[in-house]
Order: sequence, then C-alpha cells, then structure tokens
Amino acid sequence: MENTSFGRRTLLTGSLAAAALVPLASCATGGGSSSPKASAGASSADNPFGMATSGTIDAVIFNGGYKTDYVDFAGTQLTKKFPGVTVKVSPSTQIAQELQPRFVGGNPPDIVDNSGAGAIGMSTIVDQLEDLTSVLNANNYEGKKISDTVFESAIKAAGTYNGKLAAMNYAMTVYAFWYSASLFKANNWTPPKTWAEALDLGAKAKAAGKYLLLFGKEAASYYLTTLIASAIMEGGDDVRKNFESLKPDCYSQPTVVAAFKGLEAIIKAGYMKPGGSGTQFTAAQAQWSNGQEALLYPSGGWIENEMKSQTKADFQMTGANEFTISSSPKMPAGSLHAEAGEPFIVPSKGKNVPGGKEVLRAMLSKDAATNFATTRLALTVVKGAAPAESAMSTALKSQSDLLTKAGDNTFSWKFITYYGLNKENLVVMNSFLEGQMSADDARKGLQAIVDKAAADTSKPKLQVS
Amino acid sequence: MSAAAYGPPASTPPELVAPPRTEPSRARRWRRNFTFDKISLFLVFLGIPLALYITFVVSPLIQAVSYSFTDWSGFSPNFKPVGFENYVKILSDDTFLKAIRNNALLAVVVPLIIIVLSLALATMVTVGGASTGQVRGIRGAGFYRVISFFPYAVPAIITGIMWNLIFDPSSGLVNGILTGIGFSNFKSFPWLGNIRTAMPTMMFVIIWGFVGFYMVLFIAAIKGIPAEIFEAARIDGAGRLRTAWSITLPLIRENVQTAYIYLGIMAIDAFVYAQALNPQGGPENSTLTMSQELLSTAFQKGEFGVACAMGVVMGLMTLLFAAIVFSVNRATGGKDRITLA
Repeated sequence: MENTSFGRRTLLTGSLAAAALVPLASCATGGGSSSPKASAGASSADNPFGMATSGTIDAVIFNGGYKTDYVDFAGTQLTKKFPGVTVKVSPSTQIAQELQPRFVGGNPPDIVDNSGAGAIGMSTIVDQLEDLTSVLNANNYEGKKISDTVFESAIKAAGTYNGKLAAMNYAMTVYAFWYSASLFKANNWTPPKTWAEALDLGAKAKAAGKYLLLFGKEAASYYLTTLIASAIMEGGDDVRKNFESLKPDCYSQPTVVAAFKGLEAIIKAGYMKPGGSGTQFTAAQAQWSNGQEALLYPSGGWIENEMKSQTKADFQMTGANEFTISSSPKMPAGSLHAEAGEPFIVPSKGKNVPGGKEVLRAMLSKDAATNFATTRLALTVVKGAAPAESAMSTALKSQSDLLTKAGDNTFSWKFITYYGLNKENLVVMNSFLEGQMSADDARKGLQAIVDKAAADTSKPKLQVS
Repeated sequence: MSAAAYGPPASTPPELVAPPRTEPSRARRWRRNFTFDKISLFLVFLGIPLALYITFVVSPLIQAVSYSFTDWSGFSPNFKPVGFENYVKILSDDTFLKAIRNNALLAVVVPLIIIVLSLALATMVTVGGASTGQVRGIRGAGFYRVISFFPYAVPAIITGIMWNLIFDPSSGLVNGILTGIGFSNFKSFPWLGNIRTAMPTMMFVIIWGFVGFYMVLFIAAIKGIPAEIFEAARIDGAGRLRTAWSITLPLIRENVQTAYIYLGIMAIDAFVYAQALNPQGGPENSTLTMSQELLSTAFQKGEFGVACAMGVVMGLMTLLFAAIVFSVNRATGGKDRITLA
C-alpha cells in the first residue's frame, strides 16, 4: 500500500505546503483603499451639507418592526427637493454580518440604520463615524432649525459617544409597565406606583387566579431595565452616572438594593409566573396579552406592535409609569425612562457623506416624521409629529401622554448596550426571576459582569455626562 | 455451511490476513506512464479540487490563526499584533471556560449515547429478528427504518424550534402530559430554564435528531457483512447480544470510529441546537457553547481577534478529540485489520 501511494502523497503534501504560504500575503484586510468620493456640491442654506446635486445615496436600513419604507418616503421627499439625487434603500436584517466586509474594505454605505439583534457594537465603529451635530444645526425642509423641533436631549443622550454625536436615533421609545385598561376597570384595579403597591396588587391578582407579572427567557433583562429605572427615579441622576461609569459598587447603591428587594418580595410571594426561564419571550408575552395570565408587563413601547396579532380583543393596552420605591422619589413625578432608538449612522468613509446627512435632514422634517408616526404607530424624536389623537391606539396615546407629562425629565442609559452586557445579564436575571437566586446574589452576579467590563482595557470607556 | 468456507484455512483466523503486497516495480511503471492524458486528468481531478480547497479552506484557516494574534475589531482595516494576549484573555474568562466544559461534556456524552442507540436499532432491524430460518430483522423493519430516519430529514433549526415548544413550561406537550398523568410538580417546570435539566434536555434533542441517520449508516455497514457469518454464529449457539458484541461490532469497527469522530465534531460545534433552544446560553450558562460565544464576541462585541482565538481553540479541541478517538480505537485492538476475504 505505502509503496504505491508514496509518490502521490509527497506531491500532495508538497503542493499543500507551498500553497499554504501564498494566502498569507493576501488577507481580507488587504483592501482598505477608500473608493473615490462623489464630487461635492457647494453648500448653501438649501443644501447645508454641500451634497452633489446628482447621483445616488446608498442607504442600508435595518428591516425590523418598522420595515424600511419610511426611509423610502424620506428618499422621495429628498428627490423632490433635489431632482437629480436618488436614495437607494437596501433592507438588511443582519447589519453587522452584512456590513463588516464593507467597513473593512473602506466602502461603507452612506447611511446605515444600525439596529436589531445583529447591530454593530457602537464602541467598535465610533471612530469611523461622522459627527452629526451639523444635522441638528441645519434647517429642516420647513425652514426651521432641526434642534428646535426635536427632543434634543434624548437624541444627545442616546447618540453621543465620547463627546461626538455619532448616531441619530429616530424613534422615540417610552418604557413603562403595560396593562389591559379594560381588565383593570372590570376588576376595579389601579396600576401601582411603588413596589409595595405592586405587592398588594399581586395579592388581589392571586385572588382572581392570576399572576402579577411574568417573563420570557430572552427578555428577562426587561426587569433589569425597570429596576434600574426605578433606582434612578428614586435616587436621582447620580445613580445613573454610577452605572454609566461602571463604578465598582453601582449595584450596591441604596436605591438599587431597595428596588431589587421590592421585586424579590413579589417573586417570593409567588406573584411572578414560574417557568419563564424556559419560555420563549413572545410566547410569554402572549400569556399576558392574550391569555391574561398576568396583569403587568414591563417593556418598551414596541410591545403593542410586537404583540399585535396576539392581543386579546378590547385589551386596551395602556402604559403606566415604572414603579418608584417610595412615594416621594428624588426625581420629579412623571420622570420617564424614554430613549431615542433606531440609531442612524453616517460612516466617514462613505462615498457620499453629505448625502447621508441629507437623508437624515429629510427624515427629521415634518412630512417624513408624520408619515412614520401615522404608518408605524410609533413616535419619532420630532416633536408634534404624532398622528391625530383619534388615529392613535391606547398604547400610542399613553406613550404620547407619558412623554408630555415628563417634559424634560427623561433619562436613559447605555452602558449595557455599549459594553455588550445584555447576554451575560440575562443569565443572572433568569435565575433571579425564576426564584433560584436571591436579590443579593443577583446584584453580586450583575456587579461581577460590570467589574469585568470595567477591567477590560481593550475598549475605550464611555464618557459619562 | 460454516465460517471456514468463507475464510482462509481454519488455522489462520480472518483477523490475521494481511493485505496483499504489491510488487515494487509498480511505482516505476506509474512514473513512466506520465502521458498527456494522465496529466490532464491529474489537473482536472486533483488540481482544481486542490485549488478550491486551498482558497476556501486552507487560506481562511491560516487567516483566522493569524488574526487570533491581533486586536482586530473586525470593522476597520487597522490592527496591531498582540501576541498571545487573546488566548490569555479567553482562557482566563470564566464564561468561555464554561463553554469549553459544556462542549467537552457534549462531545463525551452525545456521541456515546447516539452510537449505542443507533447500533442497537440497526442490529434490531437487520439481524435481530426471528431466531429460526434466514437471518433477518424484526417484523416491520422497513417501517422502523423509515420512521427513525425522519428526524434527520427535519432541518436542525426546525428540530430546535419544535422541541423548544414541546418543552415550553406552560403550554408544552411534555408538561401537559406529565401533569395530565398526575405529576403536578411539573406544572410550569422550565426544562430548558432549570440548571439541572437544561443540558440533558438539549442533549436529548440532539440525540433525537441524529439517531436515525446513524442507524441507517450502521444498517448499510451491517448489510455488508455476509449473512452466513451471522448464521454460523447462531449455529454455534451465540445469542443476539453475543452476536452484536462479538460479530457485528468488530466487523463494522471502522464505521463506528468514523461516526464517533463526526458526532464529536458536531458536538463541539452544536451551534444550531444551542442557539435554537437557549440563545442566551441557558441558566447559569449551562448550555452555552463555544460557537455561540464566538458569534457574540465577533459581531456584537466587535472583537474579531478574540473570536478568531476562540475558533482556533475550537479547532484544536476537535483535533484533540479525533486523536483521542483514534488512539482509544487502536488501544482496544482496532489496529488489527479484519477482512472478510
């Protein structure tokens, strides 16, 4: 056997070894030569970014709950203003996987909606993005300064990375405890304001054969979101800053401890539906919205759209402020965890950077924003672009009401997404919500995750403001 | 009819027959015959596959290894070498170590159970039938063969999603049946959310998906054994278990080894099942696999250098697994060639 195959074998091995050396010279990052920029046009009040008045703008948009045609609409508005320019919208569900080679190759799109589960981590690409402050300073298509017509503080809170406005978040998300107004009315219940009131309501729910709360395994972190919001409302903005700067004792702050104890009491009393750590999250949410097995569910405002096909008729989904710890929290009444979401980014190496900014300008103008609100049943960062009250669902109306009530007292944080902690947090939260872990151990586990991120020197730290 | 009629004289047992030696002049003759025909054939059937293999397998492999020594984020053309820093980082990271242990556990348990089960099933449907007359499988063997192959025809992701629903704590079939027959403790029991049951549940789903395929593989191997050998064993008084252990298993040893290695490679990956059943890694990361950790490190955390190092560790683990299987097979006597000629 060996004699006959000897010649072939050595030949094969030899050619393999020789060939193995070749690709070392040509690796995936060999590209990098940036493609030629589109010739810029002259900038004027009407064309603030100096976009070339002919050509195309390459937009890659996350194709999620909001679809992508609202960007098409903005593109049409843009083409009306600049007839020579068209916006090419490419939908994508896996932004990171799809765009990774384009960022490496130096030919990224002109504008990207970097959203969804497959979004690119902001800390990874923030150096390659344009500062979008110029968009806020420009006038919209109605001739008003954009920064005056939007929730500027929310935009800056969500989109500022290391002092640079690197992302323009378009949708406005309100976080709340959601409930069925019809069910509450029928039973004469009122949405609780504090964790203690929630515990009382839990007893009533049990008497009615229902649970107070439930959770699903991929969304166990929604409860962490509401606990952090609760702690911030109770203890003020310093609580938020300690989280953002990954302080070694951020989960030991007194209001955080109290919020965790509040939820633990509910779990221990058996008012949290067991089995959530093994339930797919939309299935769990349907147990709330369709089965009405639990009264309340903490989530962002997307919940209505997400559960649309699985919501009981006449559910009247309504949002209530997240719980505080005492009846006299440090932050004013009505303070709200509200976040600008759907981050749009403009890569600096794109062929048509002014074009990317121009798309944002069109989107932040009244027509496009109203179109988004009316067709997507969600709010944008543009003020006063909500649809008429009669066209609003109960959930959208309560989002709008909560925002109005909060005024300037909105807050949000980004340490979890920036450092990519959600996946690890979920592990701890699932055990905690299932009742397998005490509140103190859960806080310790979460703190360990923060400590690990704080010790990791490979990434620039978030500047806290 | 006896075993002797099918082998060399009774003095030499079949195990000891060496492969026929070839005469030394063949090598020279082969070289002399380097005609155009042969060279073109060589180019088409060796050159092209080799080129494809080098482009799509070898070169990415080498790239991955070289990136594993850099701090490449994956999203910029710039990176600098960091030596073994990435390896130090992942090998001191509790989460990744947990994932390694999970994969090791999968690689030990899953192939073993699948092979034992599929061998048992294969034996049943080929030689496990009536003990009189011709050697054959149990009644309805064809039917069992078809239905046990079904799970393999279902794509892995569908298998995962389906079992995810079957194990659902509130509305799943499993808890429904268990509570229905009186085990009220299983009301809302989270099979995939309990630290003790999550991993066994995942293993069960993987095993369910693969047993049918390996059964068919082993059936093909067993069918390659002349029926007379089984008949002879039977005449000599061997029962079904003895036949399976002393006749079938030694004769299909190579197939079992191959199956073991394939299954081990699958278990060290196990990505689809883990991602479908517990995308977040399961309770206390008890079902987290290296491939899941690699994906989130690369695309969510933007640390391609570290992710490449994870990939290299996965590759090395696979090689190590194959080496262990080979040496165990050799040590237990697999090196003695068995021929039926």
